[in-house]
Amino acid sequence: MALETVNLEKISTVTASAAEADTLVSVEDVSKKFCRSLKRSMFYGLRDIGAELSGRSRHSDVLRSGEFWALNGLSFELQRGEALGLVGPNGAGKSTLLRLISGLIKPDTGTLRVRGRVAPLIALGAGFNPILTGRENIYVNMAILGLSRKEIDARFDEVVDFAEIGDALSAPVQTYSSGMAARLGFACAVLTDPDVLLVDEVLSVGDMKFRMKCLRHMGKLLERGTCFILVSHNPHAILTVCPRAIYISQGKVQAAGETASVLSHYEKDTLSTSYDDSNQPLRLPPKSPAESSGLDITSVCFRDEYGNNLGSPLSGKPASISVRCKTHKAMDGINLIVAISNLSLENERVLYLSSHYDGQPMSVVAGDVELQLDLPYCGLSAGLYSAKIVVTEQSVKTLDAVESFRFRVRSDTTAVQNLFYQPREWRVTSLSSDESN
Amino acid sequence: MKPSLVINNPSKFSESVYTPSSELSQPGRLLANMWRDLLASRELAWRLMVRDISAHYRQSVFGFAWAFLPPIVMAAGFTLAGSAKVINIAQTPLPYAAYVMFSMILWQTFVEALNGPVSAVMNARQMLSRVNFPREAIVLGKLGEVGFNFGIKLVLIVAIFAWYQMPVTTAAFLAPVALLSLVLLGTFLGLLLAPLGVLYHDVTQGLTVLTGLWLFLTPIVYPVPQSGTFATIVKLNPVTPLLVTVRELATTGVVSQPGRFFVVTAITVVGLLLTWVVFRLAMPFAIERVSS
Repeated sequence: MALETVNLEKISTVTASAAEADTLVSVEDVSKKFCRSLKRSMFYGLRDIGAELSGRSRHSDVLRSGEFWALNGLSFELQRGEALGLVGPNGAGKSTLLRLISGLIKPDTGTLRVRGRVAPLIALGAGFNPILTGRENIYVNMAILGLSRKEIDARFDEVVDFAEIGDALSAPVQTYSSGMAARLGFACAVLTDPDVLLVDEVLSVGDMKFRMKCLRHMGKLLERGTCFILVSHNPHAILTVCPRAIYISQGKVQAAGETASVLSHYEKDTLSTSYDDSNQPLRLPPKSPAESSGLDITSVCFRDEYGNNLGSPLSGKPASISVRCKTHKAMDGINLIVAISNLSLENERVLYLSSHYDGQPMSVVAGDVELQLDLPYCGLSAGLYSAKIVVTEQSVKTLDAVESFRFRVRSDTTAVQNLFYQPREWRVTSLSSDESN
Repeated sequence: MKPSLVINNPSKFSESVYTPSSELSQPGRLLANMWRDLLASRELAWRLMVRDISAHYRQSVFGFAWAFLPPIVMAAGFTLAGSAKVINIAQTPLPYAAYVMFSMILWQTFVEALNGPVSAVMNARQMLSRVNFPREAIVLGKLGEVGFNFGIKLVLIVAIFAWYQMPVTTAAFLAPVALLSLVLLGTFLGLLLAPLGVLYHDVTQGLTVLTGLWLFLTPIVYPVPQSGTFATIVKLNPVTPLLVTVRELATTGVVSQPGRFFVVTAITVVGLLLTWVVFRLAMPFAIERVSS
């Protein structure tokens, strides 16, 4: 037992010192420019080739007419066993950065140093030939990723296992479903035992089960000392895997550091362009008697537990959705439906609440009324949401509807890793003295 | 107690450094990298060759027949035209049909070597823009394919020799060396055009037109002309001495243009080495302009 402890200590000190020395990726003041005009870009390409061949400087640090900086003065380092999340809007330069790190294209300023084998997961199934069988394609694909025949032989069963293609191994890849082909590509890339893994949005392929498996395997790779960069539009994927993140936009680093704070910065930026709280409450223009079907929604907003107007609800705190209506006559069997989808998560529907389903039809009188949905605590996690609000009569006849009521849910930072708010309490029960009962 | 942490052996760690400056500024490093990549690409080249050949034949009914058909059709056409006096062709040193078929096989091999690098790069665009593997591999793979195709055509060559009862001289054993020189000339020119081919589609189109014309400037369906402007053009054609020498070594054993052969071969070898450097340096700029 004592021996084991000693061993453990030895191992941990070795890894600690190795980690200090092991910077696998170092990016120093790296810039890259591109040209949007195709013809001009080709011409510049020729000129650059000419300069490269003559050994002269190609003055790459100055923009030529029509060029722009796709990346501008980026610097960061990645140690062994580190995972870095990369977020930013489309066209921010994320893929360009990954291509620079893979050494596919040359930087225009600065220096990149990369140590060890790089497996780009931008390249799922690179070199797959649809005519050939899965088996043949595994050999070709892994050879392209830099493995020798012996190394592929040693990993072959693991790849087949991981990709879950089983019987289809001897069938041409063109007969595979897109999910199967993607799984095979992922398995090939991830099982090359890379030192640096570049993951670009590929986790969106495959079903949930496979995605979880990939995440688990990536965790294992991290323990073994692989470092990786994960590009994803899904903040939760980044949060679960990467302790550190960089947010780039327009070729520049906007924020870097601890993932939660980088993500909140990113979300603030993206949300501020598409949303601000000032549109609350959402007021709707009055309808003409011809358009009206007897009940018109006039405004929608959130209220706190005291009935005050609430711009954006706080996750875990009470909130109610208030729907003000103008009614022309008294009605029974009024049903309020609130369907909420998460705009930060590809518009996934997260809630569908209906007073009819809950067996609580409402009755209204003629005049101004307020229908309310009280939430004892807002279970939604932080993010941007859109609610569709429908008022029906007897659950069939639609009286009025609001297609999209956008709102933001705030959260205190401690809850940032949760998918939803879980009401909870913690306590201790003593089990030793229950004779008193 | 099994350690849960396995640190990869750091000795296999090669550090890659990417900077904006030209690789030519560090020639020693460039040469070392070229050598390293050449060694590293052998196995991959083999894989890619096997992949392309098996995919090719798996999707074909006639398979190997396609290697034989063009020279036979060409020979049949020109023999017909010649015997009908539609075209006037001087006496060839071999039976005319055998002459055309054999020359066509050599020409085809040259054209395959010429198109090889361009088509290899074009077909691998996606792969090139996504994975950093030794770029030499796709070119070597294509070269292997050229060799494989020639191997198939060898069957036809043996059949021609047997059918026309042409003797095999000891000099025939030197023919493969001359053939290699012909293939390398094609590779040299093709490799020079490959990065351009990624940028401009004109290159592939132009090559097709060019080889169509080039065929008739090379003594394939006619014997080497001896006088006139046309004779000068044919003489200046770099393919002429190489192709003629292979043919002569394989059949008569008497080489008529040894001087030209050595000059073109020397230019080819030096040119190929220089073009290799050009190819390496130019590819990142070409790839930059291919969407991934």
